[in-house]
Amino acid sequence: MHAGTSEKKDSHASNLRDVVVEARNLSKTYRDFWGRSKKVALKPLDLEIRRGEIFGLLGPNGSGKTTTLKLLLGLIFPTSGEALVFGRDATDVSKNERIGYLPEESYLYKFLDAEETLDFYGRLFGLPPQERKRRGDALIKMVGLDRDKKRQLKEYSKGMTRRIGVAQALINDPELVLLDEPTSGLDPIGTREMKDLIIDLKQRGKTVILCSHLLADVEDVCDRIAVLHQGELKELGRVADLLRVTGVTQIRVNGLPTQAHDEIRALLTRYGGEDIEFGNPTTTLEELFLEVVRDTEARPGRRARSIAVGAGSQTNGPADAPRHD
Amino acid sequence: MVLEEEIPKFSAWIGPALLWYLFAGSLIVVIVAALAWLVQSTLYGPLVAGDRVYRGLLAGLGDCAGISLRRIWALSRLAIQESLRRNVLVVLGLFALIVLFAGWFLDPTSVNPGKLYLGFMLTATSLLVCLVTLVLSVFSLPADIRSKAIQTVVTKPVRSAEIVLGRMIGFSIVGTVLLALMGTTGWAFIVRSVNHRHEIAAEDVLENRADDGTTAGWEGRTSFDRGHRHRIDLKPDGSGRTDSTQGHRHDVRAVTAGDATTSRPIAYAVGSPVGLLESRKPLRGTLRFLDRGGRPSTKGISVGAEWSYRQYIEGGTLAAAIWTFDGIAEREFANGLPLEMIVRVFRTHKGEIEKGITGSVRVRNPISGLQSDPFYFTAKEFTIDAINIPRTLAVTSVDGGTRQVDLFTDIVAAGRVEVILQCLQPAQYYGIAQADFYLRAGNGSFAINYAKSCLGIWFSMLLVTAIGVMFSTFLAGPVALLATLSILLIGQFREFIQRLFESQVTGDATIAPGGGPIESLYRIVTQTSITLDLDPTVAVQSIKTIDTFLLAPMRLGAGIFPSLSALGTADFLAGGFDIPLDLLAENGMETLGYLLAFFVAGAFCLKAREVAS
Repeated sequence: MHAGTSEKKDSHASNLRDVVVEARNLSKTYRDFWGRSKKVALKPLDLEIRRGEIFGLLGPNGSGKTTTLKLLLGLIFPTSGEALVFGRDATDVSKNERIGYLPEESYLYKFLDAEETLDFYGRLFGLPPQERKRRGDALIKMVGLDRDKKRQLKEYSKGMTRRIGVAQALINDPELVLLDEPTSGLDPIGTREMKDLIIDLKQRGKTVILCSHLLADVEDVCDRIAVLHQGELKELGRVADLLRVTGVTQIRVNGLPTQAHDEIRALLTRYGGEDIEFGNPTTTLEELFLEVVRDTEARPGRRARSIAVGAGSQTNGPADAPRHD
Repeated sequence: MVLEEEIPKFSAWIGPALLWYLFAGSLIVVIVAALAWLVQSTLYGPLVAGDRVYRGLLAGLGDCAGISLRRIWALSRLAIQESLRRNVLVVLGLFALIVLFAGWFLDPTSVNPGKLYLGFMLTATSLLVCLVTLVLSVFSLPADIRSKAIQTVVTKPVRSAEIVLGRMIGFSIVGTVLLALMGTTGWAFIVRSVNHRHEIAAEDVLENRADDGTTAGWEGRTSFDRGHRHRIDLKPDGSGRTDSTQGHRHDVRAVTAGDATTSRPIAYAVGSPVGLLESRKPLRGTLRFLDRGGRPSTKGISVGAEWSYRQYIEGGTLAAAIWTFDGIAEREFANGLPLEMIVRVFRTHKGEIEKGITGSVRVRNPISGLQSDPFYFTAKEFTIDAINIPRTLAVTSVDGGTRQVDLFTDIVAAGRVEVILQCLQPAQYYGIAQADFYLRAGNGSFAINYAKSCLGIWFSMLLVTAIGVMFSTFLAGPVALLATLSILLIGQFREFIQRLFESQVTGDATIAPGGGPIESLYRIVTQTSITLDLDPTVAVQSIKTIDTFLLAPMRLGAGIFPSLSALGTADFLAGGFDIPLDLLAENGMETLGYLLAFFVAGAFCLKAREVAS
């Protein structure tokens, strides 16, 4: 009995240690100069985000996801409730030592160049000069701005600004990374790289919170999501669980001849299966684009292989649309 | 130079002042906390409000403890980079243009060109430096908030205090560099501009012969340069100096072919101007008066001037001004007492307008009453008259006999001596103030004195920067600019505002005639002179009441806000006086006190603000 209680306590403590972000009854109402309520941006929200997960805040514009992020960062103050990050109040500056934040539009100093930018933010974390230099160089290389590191940010394209924004968010090797619309302004390659980076961060044990209205991006990388609408939490859970369509079974088979379809259909009908469909799965447009780019880079001057194969391809294009038997 | 109040010793006031500062600071914290609680109470109820205020105070203390010099320096560097990338150095070009214009248009033939050049360059430097740092400081933070770059900064482990201090330091460094460059350029310009030489032609010099036919000296005049010439008076050995014109003299030496005492000079070497750019170290005394009947009096005569800085003594009577000097040591004044004086003249009749008014100076033993025979001089307006009281003095006794006495043995008693000034011409008056008579205890370096004066500008620049940054934490750029200017204006006219309020409350129009802002407007519109009393109609009474309410916050502000002109020490420099270290220390401490207050206010405002809302 005693051992059981101790176990429970340990489990609870470990649970608490694992909770990186916690919102308790967190709400935000914007007020005018006279203190009158102007807009309810976030209705009371309860949320827990655990160590090592990628958590997505989803919702249309004005749904309260950025407000939630700002509350977690201490950029704005809650009207009620509290936001805890690493067990500390969100307005506690010391929590920022372990946080990396990429704002919606990489709000950086345009008069600095990439190196100066990372050096500046590195200084804010109190990194020693050699370490600042080492991390700065590595991050600039990672985000592919090697050749442009001496240009002032005001000369950067939106994608480049986004990249340097990511680099500054990682300068302190943070445990928790908050990304506001991380793929906004990025081309498909940049988007993929960003998603790979997010997954890489997770593999390195980091916790990632991202907010986006690009559902495909969220679906690709997030472990759990919260769906907000009109400042209210509408859905919360694991992506796989939320997207699972119960009552429908999907079978994927490689190299099955068409002749086998009838036998399988008969077998399935015998077991009471309804609305049986056979077809070829489609890839995503993103996959297609990346394959084209990769192929073109591998064989410059030629038309991409998959496109050259054309309508005969079984993996691409409208010809791959599922067929209903 | 006007010195209305004696400069107190730094050590005499710093202790009590610090205590008062701490007390006032604590009081303000309590008042702000109480106000914050009241405001929060209306929104969230008293308990939550109390909790928030308590947490706020704790967070503030935590912020103070967690301040990192490394982060502050990072933010300062950012402010410097921002300034440089925004081409702040262009202002140096503007300054160069001002120097050029000064070279073209300032009149080197004016009464005191040194004062003119110094005043102009110091004013231009001060204005430019303060203006640049003002613009940088008020627009920087609001621009960051508008561009949201601040969000990327505050999500790093950066405290609001560090952001405020970083900016204050960064822009102050920019201002300091600008000031150093402008100050150095200005100094070189002034020194080059006022420096000049004269020529002396042989035919402009006449020999003075003594009764026995020997050479008694040489008299003559210099060439006319820079709008003036000097009279020269050389000793038989050919050395001498010119008279004082335009606030300076020149040393002159006759060049002879053979023995200086027997040969006629063949040329004259004229030295650089002496007295134009000086740094006199005065030893000042305390002043008391004798009235026209010779009776002691604390005041002289008022000749009707509005400003009572100077008191007057009547000529041709027993009226006298007596200064008592303390701390006279023989080793410091081994060659006598170099007395310098600025004597104003008030004429009740024109007299011989070309000639000055004659007066006398005597020195007296304050204990035995033994006094020297008078030294006569002619007071010239706007120049410093100098008399050297020699070691050996003639004393006429009651019986009419004259004997020689030693200054330090017979006149100076326990380091103390009295100097008696009298005006000798009836119906004319001398105007003097305590600071107008002094013993020249030594000479400082003009360059160092100039640097001290630049230190005064530096204090002003620091204050402007701090006020600008403080306002920029919660106001938009243009509004912060206006608010800063308002603070500086109120500070600049604080004495006037204080008098105006006193006049409004007491109803005594003589304190500050013309009334408050609305009454002034009313007088302008109705073309009523400020010396006329307005009819006490209901409208006028209402105007006066409104003015009282308007003046109350201004009076409060005038009691709190800094006055930049009070930090300036250009008067000392232009007047040729060494800027006392006690004054610099006083101004430095005042600046530091304000800086700390503005820093705390700025950090508090930024912390209380939602930078992302």
